Amino acid sequence: MKIFVLIKQVPDQGAKAGINPDGTIDRAKAKRMLNPFDRYALEAALHARRLYGGTVTAISMGPPPAIEILYEAIAHGVDQAILLSDRRLAASDTLATAYALYCTVRYAGAFDLVFCGLQTTDGDTAQVGPQLAERLQVPQITYCEKFEIDHSEIVARRVIEGGSQTVRCPLPAVVTVANSAPRLAYKTLRGARRVQQLQRDEAERSRVIRTVNLDDIGADPVRCGLKGSPTIVAATEKVGEIGGNCTLYQGKPLQQLVDDVLAAQVIAPELVKR
Amino acid sequence: MSPPIRYDLLLVGGSASNLILAHRLLDLAAKSGLPLTVALVEKSAQFGAHIVSGALTKTHILEKVFPDFKTNGFPIEGYVTHSHLSVLGSEERWDLPHAIVPKGFRKEGHAILTLSHAIRWLAEQLQVKAKALTNVVLDVFPGFAAQEILYAGERVAGVRVSASGDVSEDAIFAELTCFGDKGFLSKDLVERFALRPNPQLWSVGIKEVWEVDLDCQGVVWHTLGYPILDGTFSGGFVYGLGHKKLAIGLVISLDSKNPNLNPQLRLQQFKAHPWIQELIQGGRLLKYGAAVIPEGGYYSLPTRFGVEGALLLGDALGVLDAASLSGLDKSMETGYIAAELLHGAFVDRNFEDLAERYKRAVMDGFIGQELYASRHFRRAFLENDRLLGEYLPAVCQSVDQGHPWLGSLKFGLGKPIQRSTETFQALGLILGRISGDKLFRYTPCHENIEPAFTQPAVAVSTQARPETILSRPDAVFFAAPRYHEGNRHIEEFDPQTCRRCIAIYDRLGKPTPCIADCTAEVHRIDEAGGVRVHGMSLENCIQCRTCEIVCPSVNLRVNPTYEGSGPDFYGL
Ligand SMILES: Cc1cc2nc3c(=O)[nH]c(=O)nc-3n(C[C@H](O)[C@H](O)[C@H](O)COP(=O)(O)OP(=O)(O)OC[C@H]3O[C@@H](n4cnc5c(N)ncnc54)[C@H](O)[C@@H]3O)c2cc1C
Ligand SMILES: Cc1cc2nc3c(=O)[nH]c(=O)nc-3n(C[C@H](O)[C@H](O)[C@H](O)COP(=O)(O)OP(=O)(O)OC[C@H]3O[C@@H](n4cnc5c(N)ncnc54)[C@H](O)[C@@H]3O)c2cc1C
Ligand code: SF4
Ligand code: SF4
Repeated sequence: MKIFVLIKQVPDQGAKAGINPDGTIDRAKAKRMLNPFDRYALEAALHARRLYGGTVTAISMGPPPAIEILYEAIAHGVDQAILLSDRRLAASDTLATAYALYCTVRYAGAFDLVFCGLQTTDGDTAQVGPQLAERLQVPQITYCEKFEIDHSEIVARRVIEGGSQTVRCPLPAVVTVANSAPRLAYKTLRGARRVQQLQRDEAERSRVIRTVNLDDIGADPVRCGLKGSPTIVAATEKVGEIGGNCTLYQGKPLQQLVDDVLAAQVIAPELVKR
Repeated sequence: MSPPIRYDLLLVGGSASNLILAHRLLDLAAKSGLPLTVALVEKSAQFGAHIVSGALTKTHILEKVFPDFKTNGFPIEGYVTHSHLSVLGSEERWDLPHAIVPKGFRKEGHAILTLSHAIRWLAEQLQVKAKALTNVVLDVFPGFAAQEILYAGERVAGVRVSASGDVSEDAIFAELTCFGDKGFLSKDLVERFALRPNPQLWSVGIKEVWEVDLDCQGVVWHTLGYPILDGTFSGGFVYGLGHKKLAIGLVISLDSKNPNLNPQLRLQQFKAHPWIQELIQGGRLLKYGAAVIPEGGYYSLPTRFGVEGALLLGDALGVLDAASLSGLDKSMETGYIAAELLHGAFVDRNFEDLAERYKRAVMDGFIGQELYASRHFRRAFLENDRLLGEYLPAVCQSVDQGHPWLGSLKFGLGKPIQRSTETFQALGLILGRISGDKLFRYTPCHENIEPAFTQPAVAVSTQARPETILSRPDAVFFAAPRYHEGNRHIEEFDPQTCRRCIAIYDRLGKPTPCIADCTAEVHRIDEAGGVRVHGMSLENCIQCRTCEIVCPSVNLRVNPTYEGSGPDFYGL
């Protein structure tokens, strides 16, 4: 089985991200991490390989530091990776991103399953997976939390409001994985070793992690980046920061905390039982 | 199936000992061109994050590996300029005149380290060093704990890093495995080969680091007395670090009769002392942590320092000298010696007698000399339990009354410790001036516990500022443990045993030893259908292993955490 998993590097939520004057994220300044939602997609891809065999290829579009998350994917047991990196991709919206990723998938060859995260923690649109499926003209299953392959068909349980729904469709297909799916296990020993081998051995590295640009994958630059992005950010607004006004009751009697909470009248008086 | 994961050398634990070993070995391999593959597994996700120490140390071993350690970026908090040994009453402090301070506690000139910082530096530099060598492959595996020792017959063949899943994916095989794991896993090896006829004595070292207004850099105190006056072998320390930081800690031996040592509570009482209150005035707590310390020294050394395919290093071997609370330089030295021998062994591909040669080199060097000289140190207190049980409290009292000399003398005349010859015998043992090599037998820590032991009431100063005193749950916050979902790293062998234990201590109106002595609010009692059973909040555990050592029924096993989970001691 040929399995692709799409993963994205996002600014670390724990660290403060810089915002450019034009409202876009300053990705160079931000501390980076693997999009937390993509961890579920990775686990789903590895799970599919465990059960049905084959290879998993991680694909990411992003600036060169995005290789970090591809290493991370390899540490978790992914077989190989492709990094699409090209300055002409800067300022892509979801339409342009999905187009570029579509070209990358096409370049990577035939596949049975493409797993995507549900959404990202930066763009947060949840549009890339579905758009990609449309471009690839294959069926899509979103919000998947459990699946199995039954003769060249995938049978999947999706999360829907108030319950779940089981659907099936023929392969190949695009699946976006819900965050109620099984969590990603720890790095594997073999994977962690492989990463260190790749870091030492440049020839092996370029074989296992292919870095490609728009020309390599045959993408039309006009449909990428700012030019290919019909969405316009009209305005961004800072909504202020949460926190700061926190009292630590370390070393103080519990009663004082109770008294202060009551005095602050944050609990409706009728709920207070003395 | 993929080929097995194999290295020439496997280092278990990103420890002081193993990191010095690796540095030295790489230096030697750089000169000789020896092709070598090395794997280093460490249970914490970041090197140093599971390490807590004092730490005052002589730098002679460090200097052998890094002659330029003063200028090469190795993190040092400062050097000891003033070293005191003090007796604490509950209100006063008496600094012993320098002339009568035992040599082991004259620490002038020692380097002051934040060991976790030093460890991270050593690990980073090691990777840099390895990168520059084409004949050496070094793979580091932080976040991977060795969980099980693998054998090929009677030879140690490697370790398994996870107890679940597929052996071929979890095992690291090696020609030789070095355990610098403080006994976490190597205790299995020691047991399997019955290497330690005389058990190890353990203490727990518990420590807070504060950022304070006063700059005490270079000033260190070791203290005796308050707040531990129940006869337990123990001591306190306050070290002035760089950047206006202060390390405050206690070392409490676990071979006590007292079933409720309450280390974390004791540390708060220590901090309540007016002297420490003054030192931490206006300060804030940065970090909290605890770890166990092997105190048995000479008599607890294993008969062999390794077996076929494996060597024991540092605290796992037990080279710490309790008479001077110095384990670090000796741990490093075991690594240094092992590196020299291993280099030769790998060059010749000859591992015969390695453990014997290693033992000889360790015992012929300064480690052997120091441990031999202070071999009677713990024995002196064990044989004369009135020293700590009666004499020390009396001195402490007279310290509070403002005339320590007079008080101690009065006590000495009124109630001599034993016959005067025995008094001299005790002093002789402590100072290492008595020979006589009759093997002294230690009792395993948990066997000393007397459930009904009544501890004397300790007068704690009521003047302590409440914000400087932490409850145990609050303290856990400053050790920052973090665990993955589904973590279960402590095994309780038999629930019935716990129920019996709980019944005994309930009758006495006391908590069980595991509950009282846990440094992090893990053990608890649950009511299940009217029955009181033992439960654990494992997410709080800071991996000190105290509970395993004090459980009177040996009913617990603290396994190394996996997936990089556990406390974050970085800064301790
Ligand atoms: C108007 C507009 C302007 C923007 N301008 C910029 C800009 O100037 N600079 C900039 O850096 N960003 C910009 N962005 C953000 C960027 O378009 C989105 O982050 C990107 O299109 C992916 O969308 P998303 O993050 O919402 O992904 P979602 O649709 O929420 O992601 C779903 C899944 O798709 C996959 N996926 C998404 N993106 C990638 C990727 N890059 N590689 C691999 N897999 C992926 C992952 O599996 C992910 O879990 C802009 C967005 C908009 C709407
Ligand atoms: C509070 C306190 C104060 C002290 N003060 C001093 C002092 O002032 N001077 C002094 O010289 N000594 C002092 N010591 C003692 C000194 O810290 C130790 O002797 C020394 O650190 C021991 O080094 P080591 O090489 O044996 O292992 P350590 O440096 O303790 O390292 C052990 C490492 O192994 C890892 N590990 C354990 N099990 C596994 C496993 N199964 N798999 C993978 N990794 C594992 C641990 O996470 C840790 O990183 C103090 C100790 C304590 C607790
Ligand atoms: S773990 Fe040990 S100390 Fe704790 S209740 Fe059980 S038997 Fe008693
Ligand atoms: S549970 Fe045991 S190992 Fe964990 S913090 Fe408590 S005493 Fe230490």
